[in-house]
Amino acid sequence: MSSYRLPSGGLVDRAASLAFTFDGKPMQGFAGDTLASALLANGQRLVGRSFKYHRPRGVLTAGAAEPNALVTIGTGGRTEPNTRATMQELYAGLEATSQNRWPSLAFDVGAVNGLLSPFLGAGFYYKTFMWPAGLWEKLYEPFIRKAAGLGRATYEADPDSYEKCWAHCDLLVVGAGVTGLAAALTAARSGARVIVADEHARAGGDLLSTTATLDGLAGPAYADAMLRELASHPEVQVLPRATVFGWYDGGVFGAVERVQKHVAAPDPRRPVERLWRIAARRAVLATGAEERPLVFGGNDIPGVMTAGAMRTYLNRHAVAPGRRAAVFTTNDSGYALAGDLERAGVEVAAVIDSRPDALAFPGLRARVIREAVVSDAHGGREIQAVDVWADGKRERIAVDSLAMAGGFNPVIALACQRGAKPRWSDAHGAFLAPDVDGLSLAGAAAGVTGLAACFESGVRQASAALSDLGFRPTPLATPVVEGDVVPAPAPPLWMIPGVKGKAFVDYQNDVHRADLDLAVREGYGHVELAKRYTTNGMATDQGKLSNVNAIGLLAKARGVSPGEVGTTTFRPFYTPVSFGALTGAHHGKHFQPVRKSPLHDWAARRGAVFVETGLWYRSSWFPRDGETTWRQSVDREVLNVRANVGLCDVSMLGKIEVCGPDAAEFLNRVYCNGFAKLPVGKARYGLMLREDGFIYDDGTTSRLAEDRYFMTTTTAYAAGVMTHLEFCAQALWPELDVRLASVTDQWAQMAVAGPKVREVLQRVVDEDLSNAAFPYLAARDVSLFGGRLRGRLFRISFSGELAYELAVPADYGESVADALMQAGEPFGIQPYGVEALGVLRIEKGHVTHNEINGTVVPADLGFARMVADKPDFVGKRMLSREALVAPGRPQLVGLVPLDPAASFRTGSHVLSKGAAATLENDQGYVTSTAFSPHVGSTIGLALVKNGASRHGEEVLVWNGLRNEMTTARLTSPVFVDPANEKLHA
Amino acid sequence: MASRVPCPHCGLRPKEEFTIKGAALPRPAPDAGEAAWIEYVYLRENPRGAYDEFWHHTSGCRRWLVVSRNTLTHDVYGARDVALGGETQP
Amino acid sequence: MRDSALMRRPAVASEPVRCGDLLLEAPGGSILQLLGKAGATPPSDMSLPEVAGASPGLRNAGPGQWFVVTDRELTGPEIDALAARLAPSLHVVDQSSGRFRIRVSGAPSRRMLAKGVALDLHPERFPVGTATSTLVGQIGTNLARTGQDSFELLVLRGFAQSLWDDLLLMSREFG
Ligand SMILES: [Zn+2]
Repeated sequence: MSSYRLPSGGLVDRAASLAFTFDGKPMQGFAGDTLASALLANGQRLVGRSFKYHRPRGVLTAGAAEPNALVTIGTGGRTEPNTRATMQELYAGLEATSQNRWPSLAFDVGAVNGLLSPFLGAGFYYKTFMWPAGLWEKLYEPFIRKAAGLGRATYEADPDSYEKCWAHCDLLVVGAGVTGLAAALTAARSGARVIVADEHARAGGDLLSTTATLDGLAGPAYADAMLRELASHPEVQVLPRATVFGWYDGGVFGAVERVQKHVAAPDPRRPVERLWRIAARRAVLATGAEERPLVFGGNDIPGVMTAGAMRTYLNRHAVAPGRRAAVFTTNDSGYALAGDLERAGVEVAAVIDSRPDALAFPGLRARVIREAVVSDAHGGREIQAVDVWADGKRERIAVDSLAMAGGFNPVIALACQRGAKPRWSDAHGAFLAPDVDGLSLAGAAAGVTGLAACFESGVRQASAALSDLGFRPTPLATPVVEGDVVPAPAPPLWMIPGVKGKAFVDYQNDVHRADLDLAVREGYGHVELAKRYTTNGMATDQGKLSNVNAIGLLAKARGVSPGEVGTTTFRPFYTPVSFGALTGAHHGKHFQPVRKSPLHDWAARRGAVFVETGLWYRSSWFPRDGETTWRQSVDREVLNVRANVGLCDVSMLGKIEVCGPDAAEFLNRVYCNGFAKLPVGKARYGLMLREDGFIYDDGTTSRLAEDRYFMTTTTAYAAGVMTHLEFCAQALWPELDVRLASVTDQWAQMAVAGPKVREVLQRVVDEDLSNAAFPYLAARDVSLFGGRLRGRLFRISFSGELAYELAVPADYGESVADALMQAGEPFGIQPYGVEALGVLRIEKGHVTHNEINGTVVPADLGFARMVADKPDFVGKRMLSREALVAPGRPQLVGLVPLDPAASFRTGSHVLSKGAAATLENDQGYVTSTAFSPHVGSTIGLALVKNGASRHGEEVLVWNGLRNEMTTARLTSPVFVDPANEKLHA
Repeated sequence: MASRVPCPHCGLRPKEEFTIKGAALPRPAPDAGEAAWIEYVYLRENPRGAYDEFWHHTSGCRRWLVVSRNTLTHDVYGARDVALGGETQP
Repeated sequence: MRDSALMRRPAVASEPVRCGDLLLEAPGGSILQLLGKAGATPPSDMSLPEVAGASPGLRNAGPGQWFVVTDRELTGPEIDALAARLAPSLHVVDQSSGRFRIRVSGAPSRRMLAKGVALDLHPERFPVGTATSTLVGQIGTNLARTGQDSFELLVLRGFAQSLWDDLLLMSREFG
C-alpha cells in the first residue's frame, strides 16, 4: 500500500510521527491528522462496510456529517463504537477497528445482502412482518440482526470521568471558520462576553483548507492571528473540540467538549468529555455548509468523496486523493479543487460540469466536459472508472478518485430545533433557516459564499446582535482576499439521467434513489412518511448529507418544488452525544447525594445495619454476637423497649419551626384538628389533609411559645410538607404573618422509650422529669448536663411505652447519645432501629404512610372526632362529599392469625370467611405486618370495610401472588396497653 | 421545557431548582359549592399554548411563583411572586 | 452525667484541602436564620453588638430571610440577646448545626463552582457581598461571594459530606 502523502505542505507536523493501528495493521500519521486523513495517507481507502448491503465504503467527507467512515476506537472500557474517523484526531497508539464486517473488512460474508437487495428495499421491514411469522423468527430476523447493525458497545465500565459545566455570555458564536472568527472578534472588540465553540480540534474552518490569501496572509496564518487576538480578550472563551448540539428555550445551548478524546491515556484528574450548558443572550450561527453529494450509480465506492473534503485532505493534510482524479460539479466550487489538484501534481482527468454555460477557468489544464453528468462510477473496493454522459453519448473515463460538488446545504439544524421550519430558496438552491428570535445566521450557514463575503456577514450579524444588547459594536475591516474561488449559486441537480447502479442518497442507512421512487409510488411521498418508509435520515448522522437530496428527489417524483415537500422535524442532538457526557459526574458514589443523620456514625460504631430511605440511610437494627437472623435482633430490641429502655435515632423526621403572630391561626388551617388552643409547653398529634379530603401527613406539633411552634412530619414527606406549608402561607393566606424554617438538620432527635426511661433521662436532663412536672405531651426547651447544653424534650410515644423524644443540636448528637447509653447501662438500655420501631408502632396500632396511603380520611383511622368544627382548613370542603362519608368505607383494624404459627403478608386481601377470592368479595387489605414478640405471633393492621364494627370476626387473608390463604381474626388495632396506662405512667 | 425561569427574587434560574404544582387556580371559598371545589381539585384545561402555573423555587428563595409559559414552544413569558407580585420577564 | 464530655462534632470532619490554587475549608462558627415577613428589610446595621467580634456576615436567603454567619461559635445567651433585640420583626432560629459552612477560595474558584452552579458568577453579575440560594449540582446551597476569588457555601448538615465530596471531585483538575 503506497503513501498518498504529498512531499510537502499541509498543516501536519512531519516531525511528530504518530504510530497507530487500523484493524491491527500498524500505520503512521502525523500530528495534525485526523484518523481519516491518516488512513487516506496510508492508502487505506476501504474503511468500513455499509449497514444493510455491506458495500465497501470509504471516507466521504472531512467533517461531522461523515456517514461511512465509522470505526470503533479504543479497547476495553474505553471502546467507543461508531466514531467518525473524520472527526477523530490522530494520537500515538490509537487503535481503530472497522465495523460491519465479518470475518474481515476485505472479505465480508454479509455482502451477500447486496444480492438480496430486491428483498431489502424500502419498506422491507414492514412488508416482511406481514409474512408468516415463523419465517421471520427463524430465518430473517437472526440473519438481518447478525449482518446489519453498527459497532458494538462494550460491557466494561468506562474508566474515564465526565463533567457538566455552566457558562454565560453575551454572544455565543457557533463555528470558528472565517465567519465565526470575524463575528467573535467584532464582539470581543466591543467588550462583550463571548464564547466561540468549534467542533474541530483546530479553529479556522475553511481557512485551513483554502489556498486563497487574506491581507497577504495564508488562510491558516490569518486564522491564527484572529485566534491570538481572541485569546488576549479576558472575556472571550474559545472552546475547540466542542460541538453545540442543541438550542433550547431561554437562550440555553447544549455543547459537548471532547476534552481528552485525542489522547491515549487521559489525565485522570480531568474529564474526557464536558457537557456545557451555555446561557447566551444572543447567538450567531456560523456553522458553514455541507457539500451535497450527487446521486449517481456507485456514488459510494471508496475513492468518491465530496469536493470540499478532497480539497481539505489535499491542502490541509497534504494527502492526495489518488493519482488520477475527476471532478463532477454543478457549480464553480469544483474548479477550486481541480486547480489545487493540478498544482499538487494530481492529474485531473476531467471536470464534468452539469451546466451548459460554465465559465472557463484560466490556468486549468484539465478537460472540461460541459452539460455532462457522471451516471455511474465503477469499481469494487475502490473506484476505477466513471461513465460520463454528454451530448447523448456515454464515455468511460478511467480514474482512481472522484470528487462530487453538488452545491451546498447551509448547516441550519440549530436554528430549526425549536419548531421553526426551514424555507426553500430557489436563488440559493438550498434550504435556509427561518427567522428566529435570539439567534442569527452568518456566512455559509446563511447561504453566503466566498471568504470576504462570509467575513462581512460575520461582522454584520455580530454587530446587529451587539447593538440589540446595548453594546456599541466595533466592526472589523474586511481583509483583502486574493485567490478565492467564489461559487455563484447554481441550480441543484437532483435526478441524474442514465443511472444503472445503486445511487445512494442516505449512505449510512443504505437508502438509494430507487427506494425513494418506491416510496412515492406506494403512496409514502410525504416527507415524514418517506423518512420512515425508507429510513432515510434516521441513522446516527441524522441525514446531514441525505435529507436535502431526498427532498429534491421526492420533489422531482411528485412534480413539486422542494419547498413544498418541506423538511422533516429538526431536533437535538445535532451529533451523537455520549451517555457519559449526559451523566456527567453523577454516577457511582456521586449518582445522588446521600443524606446522613447526625447519629449515622454513632449507629455505625454500634454495628447498625443500614437501610436506604429516600436519600437517608437509617439504622435498621443492631445485631449482637450470636444473633444469626435479623428477626432475632429485632425481637430483642422490641422486648427490651417493653421491658427496660431503648434509644432510637429519629433525627430524619421532618422538623419545621412555625413562627409569627399568626402561627396559631395558620396551624389551625393546615391541620384538620384544632391547634389554636394548644397551650404553650404542650405537644399535640396533628393530621394534615389534602384539598381532596384525604390524609396527607401526620406528626406532632409543640407550642414552644405563644408565637412559636415546632412541627414534626414523617421522614418521607418532610420536604413535601415544608413546600405545602409555604404554599399555604404564600398562595392561600398571604394575609397571615407566619414564617417558616426547616430545622430538620439542626436537631439530632432521639426517641428514648421504655419503663425505665425516666431514670435514664433524668441523669442527663436538668429539669424535673417526674410525671407531675413533665406530664404526658409536655414539650419544652430543657437544659442538659448542668446547663452546658440546651435541648428540647417532648413526652410523646410512638411505641406505646413511657417515652420521650430528646432533640439536641445535631453537632452534639453523638456526645448526647453516648451519654444516654452510658447513663442507661445500669437499666439495660439498647439502641433500636427502624425495624423494631415499626414493630412497636404496629403493636400499638399507630399508623404510618402504609395506612395513610392517599385513600383514607380521618374517620377511616378512627380519628373522626379529631376533625375540628372550624371555618376552614385544607381539605375541609371535600372531606364532606358523599363518597368520603358513605357507609362501608375501609376502617383500620388489627389482624391476628388463628394459628400463632401462621402468618400473612402486607398487601394481602381480606375476605369474609368462606368467600371466594373475587373482586366483589374483597373486604380490604393488609397495610402493615410484623412479628410481635408481645403477642407471640404475626400481627397486622388492615383497612377493612366497616372494620371498626367487625372486631372478633374470622376472616381469610388471601395473597393471590403467592397463592397463600391464612385464617385470621379481626381485632382492635391496639395490641399493647389499650388503656394507655404506660404512656401516662 | 422552560430551561430558565425568571424568579422575581433570584433572577434567571434553571428549571431543576423548581417544583411545579400545576395550574395557578384560585382556591374557592370554604363554603363554595361542590362544583367549584370539584373544578378546583380535579379539572384541568391542559391547553396548547399559554398557561399559568404555580412554581415553587425550591432550591432558591423558596417562594411560590406564578409562571406564565407556553406549553407548545416552552417559552417562558414571565413569573411573579404569588403574594408579592413583581412580574419579571426572562 | 453532668460531667460527660460534650464534643461538637461537625458534619464533615476534614482538615482544609488544597487542590493547586484552590482551598476548601470548613470554618465552623455559628449560623443563625432570621425570619421576617416577606418584604421585610434586613437588620439595618450588622454591627449587632451581641455578635460583634465574631466577624458576622449577613446572607440573603429569600424575601424576608437571612443567615447571620459568625466565625466564632456564639453562646446561648448571645443568641438570646440577639433574638430579643430583633424581636418581634425578626425571629431568630439557631441553625449552627443545621447548616454546614464551606469556604472555597483561590483563583479557580469560579471555574470550579461553574461545574455545579447555574448562576452567572461573573464578578459584575454576582459581586462580592452577594448571597443567594441555588443548586450546586444536585444539592441546595446558600452561596455567597466573600471575595473576588472566594465563596462560602451553607448546606443542610445531612448533605454536607456529599457536597464536600462533590466539591473535591470538581476541584480535582486544578490540583
Ligand atoms: Zn427565587
